[in-house]
Amino acid sequence: MQSWLQNRWTSLCLLVIAIGALMLFLYGFFPLKYHSGTLAHMDDLPNFIDGVSIDGHEVYNSGENTVILMVIDGLRYDFATEEYMPYTGQLLKNKSACIYVSVAEPPTVTMPRIKSPERKKEKAQWRRTINFWRDIFAMMTGSVSTFADVALNFGAPAVRGDSVLRVAASRGRRSIMYGDDTWLRLFPGLWAEYDGTTSFYVTDYTEVDNNVTRHLDKVLTPDENKKPTFDFLVLHYLGLDHIGHLEGARSPMIKPKLLEMDGVVKKIFTAMQTWDRAGTLIVCGDHGMRDAGGHGGASPAELLVPLVLARTPDFVCPHSKGPGPTVAQVDVAPSVAWLLNAPIPGESVGRMLPALLPSDSRQHLYLLHVLAAHNARQGVPTNAEFYKQFQRAQTQFAHYLATGQKSAAKIAKDFYEESLEAMSRYLSEQTVDLDMFAIGIAVFLLYFIAVTLLCVTLYSLQPEHSRKTSTGHHHRSTAGSFLAFIIVLFICSTTLVISCFITETKSQFCSFNSAWILVFGLTACVITMVYFITKTAIENTRDLTILKDLNLIDYLLIFGTVFHSWSFFGTSFIEEEHMTWYFFWNTLMLFILLRTVVVVLMYLGKMFVGATEVQEKPELHKRMDINIGLLPKWVLLIALHRYLKTMNQTGDRWLFLPDTADWLNAPENAVFLQAHLVVGTLLTLIICLWNVRCMNNVMHMHTAFTVLATGCILCYRISTKALDSPFDYIQSWDPVNIVNLFWGLLIAQFVFEILTYVGIFRSCGVNSLKTQSNKKFVYNKPKAKTEDYFYDPLAEEPWNLEEVKLSLACSISHLMLNYLMLIVILLMRPHNVIMVPSVYITCMLTSKCVNHKLLDTRPGRDTEIVDTLSQVLVHLWIGQVFFFYQGNSNSLASVDLGAGYVGLREYSAWRVALRMGLHAYGGPAVAGAALFARLAAAPSWHRYLQALWQTTNVLALHRVYAVSLYCIVTIFFRHHLYVWTVFSPKLLYDFVATVFTTQALTSIAQIVGLTHFTSWLAKTLTYKSKL
Amino acid sequence: MFSLNNQLELRKVTISSLLTCIYLPSIVTVISYKGLLYSVGNGSSFYILVLIFFAELLKSFYLNATNDIQAKRSKANKNRVGDILKSFVFLLVALFCFFIGIMLFGAPILDCHEETLMLSSLMSLLAVFPLIAHSGVEASMQLLFGIKNYGRDTITEMLVNNSIMTVCGAWLGAVVIPLDWNTPWQQWPVPCYLGAISGYLLSNVFTVFKVILLSAAQKYPTINSIINFLNNLHSAK
Repeated sequence: MQSWLQNRWTSLCLLVIAIGALMLFLYGFFPLKYHSGTLAHMDDLPNFIDGVSIDGHEVYNSGENTVILMVIDGLRYDFATEEYMPYTGQLLKNKSACIYVSVAEPPTVTMPRIKSPERKKEKAQWRRTINFWRDIFAMMTGSVSTFADVALNFGAPAVRGDSVLRVAASRGRRSIMYGDDTWLRLFPGLWAEYDGTTSFYVTDYTEVDNNVTRHLDKVLTPDENKKPTFDFLVLHYLGLDHIGHLEGARSPMIKPKLLEMDGVVKKIFTAMQTWDRAGTLIVCGDHGMRDAGGHGGASPAELLVPLVLARTPDFVCPHSKGPGPTVAQVDVAPSVAWLLNAPIPGESVGRMLPALLPSDSRQHLYLLHVLAAHNARQGVPTNAEFYKQFQRAQTQFAHYLATGQKSAAKIAKDFYEESLEAMSRYLSEQTVDLDMFAIGIAVFLLYFIAVTLLCVTLYSLQPEHSRKTSTGHHHRSTAGSFLAFIIVLFICSTTLVISCFITETKSQFCSFNSAWILVFGLTACVITMVYFITKTAIENTRDLTILKDLNLIDYLLIFGTVFHSWSFFGTSFIEEEHMTWYFFWNTLMLFILLRTVVVVLMYLGKMFVGATEVQEKPELHKRMDINIGLLPKWVLLIALHRYLKTMNQTGDRWLFLPDTADWLNAPENAVFLQAHLVVGTLLTLIICLWNVRCMNNVMHMHTAFTVLATGCILCYRISTKALDSPFDYIQSWDPVNIVNLFWGLLIAQFVFEILTYVGIFRSCGVNSLKTQSNKKFVYNKPKAKTEDYFYDPLAEEPWNLEEVKLSLACSISHLMLNYLMLIVILLMRPHNVIMVPSVYITCMLTSKCVNHKLLDTRPGRDTEIVDTLSQVLVHLWIGQVFFFYQGNSNSLASVDLGAGYVGLREYSAWRVALRMGLHAYGGPAVAGAALFARLAAAPSWHRYLQALWQTTNVLALHRVYAVSLYCIVTIFFRHHLYVWTVFSPKLLYDFVATVFTTQALTSIAQIVGLTHFTSWLAKTLTYKSKL
Repeated sequence: MFSLNNQLELRKVTISSLLTCIYLPSIVTVISYKGLLYSVGNGSSFYILVLIFFAELLKSFYLNATNDIQAKRSKANKNRVGDILKSFVFLLVALFCFFIGIMLFGAPILDCHEETLMLSSLMSLLAVFPLIAHSGVEASMQLLFGIKNYGRDTITEMLVNNSIMTVCGAWLGAVVIPLDWNTPWQQWPVPCYLGAISGYLLSNVFTVFKVILLSAAQKYPTINSIINFLNNLHSAK
């Protein structure tokens, strides 16, 4: 097990395993059912009941009906009473209408506060859409929506599956919509007539409703045959909700507003009475409101909404007085569909509103049968009791059809209702229920891995000599450790199996089918492996004195990183995560500022007090000079960050404030925008050229490649009209070709680098002069050691293999950094281009300033390990800060879809996703690359590997720690109403971040692997040539 | 931790801290009863700064008063007017630095200058002024940045602690600004302003507490362990 612990890439493996665990978590957390998109047809109606034939179309026919669905936003249960709505109350009293208690799908609402520029409207619209999504989705499709529906649809939030509107349209019904335009966006192309109002300005509570009501007179007037001109009318009133948000549920304005709504109900109902056709009016709220006015909690006032059903002509409510029976929001869909004589939407799990069920028992039973059969088709287990009940009901129904016995009809009805209720509940729960067992296992795994990574990291942070001495005390035999592994594996799997059976879980994880048994076995293996690594690490970690070298800034870094994950227990800290990072980063900058001031003062003091002492130590003098230069640079850096912070408003609460990006994107400020673009690109070019020094000896070629690539980027900008240029013909070039050329250049540069390394060009004699002056890639024998390997020429390494390895690693790392910067610049929005050089400058300056030797006048103290630790953390922080500077947030709305299509002609899921990811994580990626490039500048190969090991460990530890803690947070808040808009998107972001971290570490591992490979190749070839 | 060597200094420290513990809360109480607590950022609340200025000035007179005639004489020789002028200029510089610094670290740049100015003047009053009044410009600079050690000078130690705590308080006050509670005290610069005041106050309370601990330790030796622990904490920093 020792070798596992000491392996450089153990933490990478653990990270990969953690991704697996996270996937298990996501599997359990995001509801299991995904909407299949089945579309319903009239032909689906059963024509045989248990062998007895029946004319489905004829029995199903509900006659000519007109349905009006009136949604009043924020109508809570106690508003639909005689006190507030006298006419409605009257209707309820004389039994012309029924009232039901409907339980709302928890909505999540964050209201925009301030007028915002056009650019941000989309984001806000998206949020708004999500808010209505669940309610409208439930009412129109009859199924409970899942997060996957939203997440997979973002960008174009239209319902793709079946809905009442689609089946109605397919049956040739005319649907009309007046009200919130979210309906239009959710169901595009399904309306015969519409007038959408934006619900954007919450201060407006009269105009939004007048916009709806003004059409009523026209639309309610029947034609000459006394028939209404439409079949399905949706009215969505927003004013009540807006008043609630502004003034609360006890506001004096509520009453007149409800009276107004009551007037609308009266108007509709009177109009319906004049029609020569059956009319149905459904009045419902989509969610309630708190007394304070908002909504978003789980209190009854917010969740219980009334559903009033009024019909003409001659309709008597079958229910007794008082609060009606409870229905679900999904029940609206099948009811409306049936009334419109359309099939039940494909994924509906609802039932019929009880008062609608016809008195004719044949039709009644047929309807119940259709619903039950429809539900039974949607993956109900056939061995469940309610399914058997359904079959029994079917037999009774067939019996009734054959014989006409009333008692059989009664029994069939009872059986149908029982089974329908159970099936509906089962299906809804299956959509919403979490697989708690899988989640539990996943979190346990994540925690265990986090602990292991902590142990491994601490182990790797020990000074080298103490690590060496601690090894090899008692060497276990391979067979012994194998036996131990088997035993622990057995114990683990037994425990897992037992816990499966004790909890009696329905989880797939414990189902032991072919696929899941693999997962099960892997879990047990991982637990065993992780256990052994932890055990060995704890046994071997003895000397942590190195941690005493930590200074105040290190403590700040560690504390901040650790605390940050805990802050997520507050929702607003997730929405405003950038604030946490900005605050930490500001604190860090303040600390470093104080430190640089101290350095300056120390130097000045030395100058005045002990001038001779300074003169005696010219080396000290020199170092002081460098350090004093840091202060003005640092102040400038703070100013730069202050500026970048204003670039993009992000998060939720201040998203709508105008920011610099808005100003820059205004047409009149195009010059400044272009200046930002050009300055950003040119600065990156300069940085890239500066980095070229770390590559191989053929400097000029690399410079040419880089300049050409930057030229491509500029041409791309010109051709996409983001940049004006004196050369008009560039504008007509094809951006896709330019981007392809850019990729080609990058690949060519990499190939060239490798070829130079191999030495192809040496024979051409192109760089013969260069190679002699700069022998980075030349194997040679150090002369001093020539006598040593006289004894054992094969064991010793006479060649400077390690130096060459190091320079190759260094070169490729810098090449990677350059590539990342160039690619990110290509993908960024014009105003954000300036971020990329800023990340680099910040990284360089900060890593100078957090150096532990800055304040240390005595040379010789070994602070390498602590330095590595603080460097990694600082780069992590910089990455995070820039992630938010760039305008990202923890909401899916801030993902820039435009970046996904740079240089692409058609949609290709992987390429788009990669571009989008790289764009979003551009800041962290560049910061990470800068970190690894910095590591590669180590003085020796051995120390490079050491630092790499520690860095990998710390990065993996941070990632797994953050993820595992966040998983706990989401479990904790799984019933919280923000689970959709706040918690789940953040979970996705964390998942993506983990994947990217793994990817980054893998590419570093590849670099190291490449160096080893080439070195091995060179060795074998050399030996061969010798032989 | 303070030393017990100089009883006179210890007494001075205690009394001045107690004075602060009395006058600052009373100012805050009075303005909060007048309903002016959330308007501390306005220029109209300048009188609070004047009050604090005079209180700190009186305190520094008390702290600087010596019975030692020789010291008095040597002080008299110095150029008082020049010193005062220099301190005043330095105070202005400190104020300006605070102003710029607060802006750099996130205060609104284009507006709210008045509020930021009030905050920076309060901070220079609480954090820099007492130190200058006690030990002069150069020494206070060196003390603040930890270059010069205050050794066994209890008064200076207290003053330096006060300034550090003031800055920390103002810094931590900013934490509440982004929370979505929509309360009036989340307005800029109220949390930082109150944070600075409470940091200063807290530091003084600590001072009193420490002196009480020290004197109690003479009676009950068991308390010494706590003092040692505090000492260790201090030296670890």
